[in-house]
Amino acid sequence: MARYGMVMDMRTCVGCQACMAACSTENQTPFWSEKFRTHVEDKEVGTFPDVRRVQLPRLCMHCENTPCLSACPTGATHMDKNGIVLVNNDRCIGCYACCIACPYDARYAYEREDVEKEHELYGKDVSHETPHVDKCTFCVQRLKEKLEPACVATCPTHTRIFGDLDDRQSEVHKLAASGKAQALNQGLGTSPKVFYIPS
Amino acid sequence: MTFVHQEVWHWQIATYLFLGGLGGATFAIGAVLHLFEGCDRKMLSIAVMSSIAFLVVGTVFLLADMLQPLKAIYALTNPRSWIFWGVVFINFYFIAAIAYIIPLLDEWPLFQPIVQKIPAPIIGLLERFNKLVALGGSAAGFLVAIYTGLLISAAPAINFWNTPALPLLFVISGFSTGAAFLLLLSMLSSNPAAPVISAKLEQLDAMLIVTELIILGAYFNFAMFLPTGARASAEFLFHSPVFIVGFFVAGLIVPLAIETWGIFFGGHSQENKPKLPMLLASSLVLLGGYLLRIYVLKAGMFQYPW
Repeated sequence: MARYGMVMDMRTCVGCQACMAACSTENQTPFWSEKFRTHVEDKEVGTFPDVRRVQLPRLCMHCENTPCLSACPTGATHMDKNGIVLVNNDRCIGCYACCIACPYDARYAYEREDVEKEHELYGKDVSHETPHVDKCTFCVQRLKEKLEPACVATCPTHTRIFGDLDDRQSEVHKLAASGKAQALNQGLGTSPKVFYIPS
Repeated sequence: MTFVHQEVWHWQIATYLFLGGLGGATFAIGAVLHLFEGCDRKMLSIAVMSSIAFLVVGTVFLLADMLQPLKAIYALTNPRSWIFWGVVFINFYFIAAIAYIIPLLDEWPLFQPIVQKIPAPIIGLLERFNKLVALGGSAAGFLVAIYTGLLISAAPAINFWNTPALPLLFVISGFSTGAAFLLLLSMLSSNPAAPVISAKLEQLDAMLIVTELIILGAYFNFAMFLPTGARASAEFLFHSPVFIVGFFVAGLIVPLAIETWGIFFGGHSQENKPKLPMLLASSLVLLGGYLLRIYVLKAGMFQYPW
C-alpha cells in the first residue's frame, strides 16, 4: 500500500505541454473539446519592468481531505488504497457537485458528444463508454504495470516527480519534505498530495 | 490568485433551487395555516397541489441538467453529500404532501372517483392524522427550502457561496416566495375566509422581506470586506442592472412598500380591498426570488491559487 503523490518543480517547466499530449493519448481525454486532465498554466508574474513568465502544471491534487468525495452523492468518486482519487464512471450521474466542490479546477464533463467522438476516433479501443465527470487518475492503469503516469514519463525537463510519499528513500518524499515544496490552497485544509517547488 | 466565474451550474439549476424553495415553503406555510388558522380545504388543496407541481418540475430541471439522469437512484449512496440529503428531504416531502392532500381531494368532483377507490380505512386514517401530517409536511417543506442553500454552499473555492449566510438567505427568500404565492392564491379566491388569510400572509411576507433585507445586508457586508472571490462576486452583482433593478428594487423594495401600505393603510379587514396592488406585489416577489437564484449562481467565482 502506497501513498502516491507528485512534486512539480516549477524551476524546470518550459511549458512545452508534452504532458497534456501524453495524458490525452494515454487516457483518451476529449482534446477535440479542449478538455484535459492536466494543464500547464502560462502566467505572467510581477509588474513592468520586473515581469517574468511562470509555467504552472496542474492536475488533480488527490487531496487527503477530498471536497469532491464529500460532494459526490453516488459514491462514484472514491479513494483507492493508494490514496488515488478515482471516479467510477458507471456510477457517476453527472450532477457536477464534484466540479463545484473541487478547488483546483481538476474535473470536467465527458459529455455524450465526447463519447460519440471518442468512438469515432478510437473504435473498439474506447476507454469511456458512458458520459461522466472525468479527472486525473495518476494513470492508475500504468501504475499496475509498474510504469509511471504518462505525463511524468513524457516530461522532458523532469518537472514532474512521482512516487510514494511514504517511501522515505523516494525522490518525491525527499522533495515534499524538503521545505521547498508547497501545496496549493493550503488554507482550505484539503491536504493535497501534489506539491510545487516555486520558480 | 485568479477569480473565474463558475460555468458548471446555470439557469436550470437556478430554476430547481427556486422551485425547491417555493414548493417547500408553500407547503410549509400552507400546513401551518391549516394548523393555526384553519383555512378552507379547497384553497389548501390548490396550494399543496401547486407545491407538489413546483417540486416535480424543479426535479425535472435538475435531472435534465445531469449527464446520466436515469441513474439518479444512485444519489442515495453517500450521506456525506448534501444531494443525498436533498433526495431524502424531497422524498419525505412528497410522501407527506401526498398523504396530506388525499383527504382534501374530495372537494374536487374531478378527483372524487380516484379518492373513492382508496379503501375507507386508509382515508379515515389520513383524515384522523391530517394535522400530524401537516406538521411533518411543514418540517419537510422547511428542510427542502434550506437544502437548496446548503447544496450550493458546499463549495470551498467559491467564497461567495461558502458561507452560512447563503442557506439562511435562500430559506428566507424561499418562504417569502411561498407566502407570496399563497397570497396570490388567496387574493384570487372567492372564499369568505380568504381576506383574513390574505391579511396574515401579507404581514408574514412583509416580515420575511425585512428579514431578507437584513440577511442581504450582512451577507454583502461580509463579502465586500474580504479580499477574496466573495468580493469579486459581490462587485459583479452590484454592477448587474437586472440584479439591482429586477431583484432588489422590483423584487424586494416595491413589494415591501405595497405590502406595508396594505397593512397600515389598505384596510385589509374589508372585503372590497383593492386586489391589484397585492397581486402585483406577490408576482414581483416571485420574480425577485427567481432572479436572486439566477444571479447568485452567475456570481459564483472560483478562487484559484494560480
